[in-house]
Amino acid sequence: MGKRFVIGSVGALCVILAVVLANPPNAAAHGEAADEPFLKNMTTAFFNVSVSPTEIEVGEPVRVTGSVKILETWPHTLETPEIASIMPVVPGPVFVLKERFVNGTAAIGSFFAQKGGIYEFEMELVGKEPGDWHVHPGIAVYGTGTLIGPGEWVTVKPSDEPFSFPLTLMSGETIELSTYGGAFVWWWSFAGFVLGFIWILYWTTNKRTVTNLAVTVQLPVNDDAPDIGLITPRDHMWMNVIVGVTLVMLVVGWTYATSNAPVRWPQQTDWFTPEFISSGEKMAEARASGATYDEASETLEMKVQVTNVIQSDIALKQLTIAMATFVNGPEAEQAKAGPSDFVGRLEVQPDGPIAPGENKELTLTISSSIFSEERLIPTQAPQQFIGAVLRFENGNDGHEFVTVRSNVVPTQFRSTYLP
Amino acid sequence: MATETTTVTDLAEAAERQRRLELKELLNKKYKWIDWKWDLVFWTTAVFVVAGAADITKQLFAGDWDFWTDWKDPQWWPVVTAFATIIIPSTLQYIQWTAWRFPTGATYTACCLFFAAWVGRYFQWDLAATYPMNFVWPASVVCAGILMDWTLMKTKSFILTSLIGAHVWAIAVWAYNYVPLAAFLQPAHFMDHVVTVADVQGIAYIRSQTPEYLRLIERGALRSFLGETQYVSLAFAGTAAFVGYWIGQFIGRYLAVWPIRRYLKTM
Ligand SMILES: [Cu+2]
Repeated sequence: MGKRFVIGSVGALCVILAVVLANPPNAAAHGEAADEPFLKNMTTAFFNVSVSPTEIEVGEPVRVTGSVKILETWPHTLETPEIASIMPVVPGPVFVLKERFVNGTAAIGSFFAQKGGIYEFEMELVGKEPGDWHVHPGIAVYGTGTLIGPGEWVTVKPSDEPFSFPLTLMSGETIELSTYGGAFVWWWSFAGFVLGFIWILYWTTNKRTVTNLAVTVQLPVNDDAPDIGLITPRDHMWMNVIVGVTLVMLVVGWTYATSNAPVRWPQQTDWFTPEFISSGEKMAEARASGATYDEASETLEMKVQVTNVIQSDIALKQLTIAMATFVNGPEAEQAKAGPSDFVGRLEVQPDGPIAPGENKELTLTISSSIFSEERLIPTQAPQQFIGAVLRFENGNDGHEFVTVRSNVVPTQFRSTYLP
Repeated sequence: MATETTTVTDLAEAAERQRRLELKELLNKKYKWIDWKWDLVFWTTAVFVVAGAADITKQLFAGDWDFWTDWKDPQWWPVVTAFATIIIPSTLQYIQWTAWRFPTGATYTACCLFFAAWVGRYFQWDLAATYPMNFVWPASVVCAGILMDWTLMKTKSFILTSLIGAHVWAIAVWAYNYVPLAAFLQPAHFMDHVVTVADVQGIAYIRSQTPEYLRLIERGALRSFLGETQYVSLAFAGTAAFVGYWIGQFIGRYLAVWPIRRYLKTM
């Protein structure tokens, strides 16, 4: 190993370290910012999400409701969505999940999903561990992983009552799920360990161990040499006793377990096709004709061609990109649109109603730090696209969700030396 | 001629008897520096290496099946567990039997694994991640270890142990752990469904990154043999354990013992 090699290696290491330290990934508290933008904005849109209440005691419920749409713009680089599961995304089981409905059906497992499908969820969580927890709804899609919606901080305060999870069996007995069967599992396993430990102690204390090698290397491997004293009839006798005890223990344990739980089922599975939820009354045709993104001011500007196809005025009220919703309306309306960290203002130019039959080009402008915090907009990616869901309203409670897809061009091209 | 042959045979037998007497003496020879304290240090140090190897192998091949009660199903769990857990016990059987003629390798590994698995589950899963122990308890293979070591002691053959012992292993691992599992297979009413207690644990104790569709369990299929999945699975588990046993032997022979011999020869 030459001096030059050492210097070269140290040099290379310094360069690598410099590169790593100079480009810190823009990671937010919950990890989803680390995902590529296309994985969020082209796959799903979460809207009308609500997490409430945001302050509870241990043992009290929190409801997580909302909708997620699997977008028609689903990236071709991911497997086509077919099976999905709605789940709370929280830091471990700090809550327990007591209820879950997808499009009105109680969902114990997964469901069949498809591009364009809208899934309305309703989950009830019960606080288990005290602390401040960030609670998101998420949708796990087979082949892709868990895609998360907007999050809300929930404070779980300690309670005078310890956490409990009563569960009623079909036999009528009510058990405490937090601890049920736990002591038996431990003592049963420990009893087996004791038998094994006795087996080991017998051999290691009655016999020389390491020095036996001097003898065994001179014998064939299937010679247990009772005459020499390696394994004696006495050893056989005691080992037979331990094996006998083991078998008795198995039989006794089995008899106890099966009489204690005479009715046993295989684990259950239920995958279903959720009822269809319409994206609303047909009222608008919309097509994006390009977008720009200014990184410095975190401003997205998108041009959309809209045609009103019904007999009354319509207006564009909301735009959802992944887990963020932008509202064309006052603060009060924004507050209703979802968890505040994931809601912003949508500016529509020209604003105002679109008359029946009218075709209009709208310029949508959004300035929001969510873009960089959640890394929603691609600036130098192989797929320079964003997907978004527009919500049109007709003034008498009718609405329609329309998905648009647009390529997005940064307003400044940064020159970079490193990739 | 006849008498001469007899004499030669007698001589050979006498020599062999003499050799074995010498070996007996060698077995009981007093060594100055290698006494029971040396043994104790050796066995105790080995605990961590063996526990680590066994635990990593189990997590690699049977991770989720061992972590959660709702994965401990009739079809997959017996097969993957038998296969994953027999590998290192087989290695240790080879080492301890050939080196010291102890039928202890499998039991020793099982005891080490018991220690590692419970420590890991308790500190990482229960205390740190707050999953209750009755949901994340590890399967125990000590009973199977005793029966397989006993098989080796009786047969004195790795081939016979792999043929008989592997099936004994598969059945014993399943039967021993089915005893505590039974209570978790009772049906209960939850979320408008009748599901097992284990299912309730799997749904209620949130695993954000392990969605339900990833659970590899018996879901009912044409090939479930008149509903007798369990027995077909156990038969296959024995075969899988046989394969695992020989992987373990390979590790023992060529990755553990052979390099040591090479090293000793260079000294
Ligand atoms: Cu979060």
